[in-house]
Amino acid sequence: MDVIDTTMTRSRPVPLLLPEDKKRITPKRPRDYVAWAVAIAIVAGLVWTAVTNENYHWPVVFSYFTTETILEGLLVTLFLTAASMTLGTLLGLVLAVMRMSPQRPVSGLAQLYIAFFRGTPVLVQLIFWFNIAALYPHLSIGIPFTGVSTPVDVNAIMTPMTAAVVGLTLNQAAYMSEIIRGGFASVSRGQHEAAESLGMSGFTKLRHVIIPQTMPAVIPATGNQVIGMLKETSLVSVLGVADLLQSAQAIYARNYQTIPLLIVASLWYLIMTLVLSVPQSMIERRFSRSTRTRLTPAATSAGPGTGPGAGAGQAVPTTRESLL
Amino acid sequence: MNADGTIVARKLCKSFGRHQVLRDIDLTVKAGEISCIIGPSGSGKSTLLRCVNGLETVDRGVLKVNGEDFGYVEKDDAYHAVRPKRLAEQRARIGMVFQQFNLFPNMTAESNVMSGPVLVHKKDRAASRERAQELLARVGLEGCGHKYPAQLSGGQQQRVAIARALAMDPTIMLFDEPTSALDPERVGEVLSVMRDLAGNGMTMLLVTHEMGFAREVADEILFMDEGIAVERGDAREVLANPREKRTKAFLERVL
Repeated sequence: MDVIDTTMTRSRPVPLLLPEDKKRITPKRPRDYVAWAVAIAIVAGLVWTAVTNENYHWPVVFSYFTTETILEGLLVTLFLTAASMTLGTLLGLVLAVMRMSPQRPVSGLAQLYIAFFRGTPVLVQLIFWFNIAALYPHLSIGIPFTGVSTPVDVNAIMTPMTAAVVGLTLNQAAYMSEIIRGGFASVSRGQHEAAESLGMSGFTKLRHVIIPQTMPAVIPATGNQVIGMLKETSLVSVLGVADLLQSAQAIYARNYQTIPLLIVASLWYLIMTLVLSVPQSMIERRFSRSTRTRLTPAATSAGPGTGPGAGAGQAVPTTRESLL
Repeated sequence: MNADGTIVARKLCKSFGRHQVLRDIDLTVKAGEISCIIGPSGSGKSTLLRCVNGLETVDRGVLKVNGEDFGYVEKDDAYHAVRPKRLAEQRARIGMVFQQFNLFPNMTAESNVMSGPVLVHKKDRAASRERAQELLARVGLEGCGHKYPAQLSGGQQQRVAIARALAMDPTIMLFDEPTSALDPERVGEVLSVMRDLAGNGMTMLLVTHEMGFAREVADEILFMDEGIAVERGDAREVLANPREKRTKAFLERVL
C-alpha cells in the first residue's frame, strides 16, 4: 500500500500546501446546475415560441415600431408623465406640510384630500374629471364679492387632455404627500430643535435643513412613482387622449393587427421604464452622498438613540474617498 | 439697565400630561455667570434648560431671559404667547448645545457654522465664511471646515456645534449634557473649549454630570430632584458641604 501511495503522488505532483495556507471554497452543488438548466430551458422555450409562432407577426411589429402615430403617442405619454409628476409632487409637498401642521383644521383638510384620492380608483377619477361639466357646467373665475368675473364654459376647458393631467396630478399628489411625509418622519426631532434654537423660521428650517435630509428617503420612492406613473398614463386612453396605447389601438382598429401593435406599445413602455431607472439610480447616489458615511462608526454617535459604546468616535478618513 | 446675559425664573411649573416635571423652580443667572444644573436623570434638569430657549413651553411662572419675558408677553389676565417670528428673534440670541450634537448632516462643518448668520441674520456669505473659519479655529478645528459631520468624531462634532451656536453672537450659552454622548477620551477636548468660553465671560447654563468641571468653573450650582430645586448655592460650597440630605446622597453616589 505504501508503494502505491508514493507512486500516485509522484505521477500527479500536488504542490505541498500547509493547512493554514489553504483557501476555503464552497464547492458547487447539483442544485446550482439544476437552477441554471431550468432557467435556460424556460428562456429558450419562450424565445422558441416567440420566433416560431406566426401569430406574433414580427415583421408587422417592426414596421409599426417607429411609425409617426406611435412616436407621437410616445411623446404624449412622456408629456403626461412629466406634467402630472411635476405638478403632483409640488401639490404633494404642500399637502405633506399641511398634514403635519399643528393646526387641526389644516391637517384635517389634507387628511380628507388624501383619503378621498387614495380611496377611489384613478380610472374612475379620470372619467369623473372628464365629465365634471355635468356637475358644474359654468364656472366663474373672478374676485369674490366684486363684480369682476369671467364666466368659463367648463365643457370647453375640460378637454380629454386637461382631464387627463388634472386627474393624474390630483391622484399622484395624494401618494406623493404620503411619501414626502415619510421623508419628514425620517428626520430626527433634534434637527428641528437645532434649527429652531438658531432662530430659523419655519420656512427656512424646512427649506435648508429638513427637506434636504428627506431626500434619501423620498427620491427612491419617487423614482418608483415616476415609473408607475408612466404606465398609469395608459389609463387615459379611455378618455381618447392619443397616448402610446391609444395610438396603438387606433392603428389596430383599422388593420386588426391587435397583438403586434400591443407588442409595439409594450416594448416602448419597457424601454422607457428601463431608461428612467438610470437617472433614478444616479440621483439616488447624488443625494445619499452626505448620509452614506453615516454607516461608519464615527457617525453612529451622531444618530439619536446612541447606546453606550456606540460612539466609537474615530473619524474614518478613507470612507468618503472610497465612496467617490 | 442692560440685562443682557441674565436669566431669571420664578416659580416655574411644567407638566407633561399628569406628570409634573418642574415644581416652582427659582433660578437666577447673572451676566457672565456660570451655572450648573445637576441631579439624577428624570429630575427635570434638561426640561428646565429647554424651557429657557423655548424648546419646551412653561405652564406657569415667570421666565425672563436677557431681561425680557421669554416667548410670552405679560397681559392683565395671563401671559400671551408671542408670534413665531418674535420667538425666533429671542431664540437667536441664545446658543444651545445638545447632547446629540444635532449638526445638520447635509452641510459641511463650515456651512453648519455659517447657517445661523446667513440664513437667519441674512449676513454676507463671504464674511460669514471667514467668521466660521475663525470660530472653527477657536474650537481647535482649523482646516476641518470642508468635512461633513459624519466624517468627524463625536468630540469634533460637538465642538462644531459649539462654534455654530457662537456664530450667532449669543448673550447666553445653554449646554444640555454636552459630553454625555462622548467617548471618555473625547470629553476633555469639549470641556477645554467650554472652559475657554467661561474664561471669556460668557453667561453659561449647563446640565452636566461632570462634577470636576462644575467644581472648577461653575459659580453656582442648582441641584434638582423630582422637579424640585432642592439646593442652590455657591458651586464649591454645595459640592463640598451640601446642606440637604438628598444632595449629599446624590453627590456620594456620583463622586
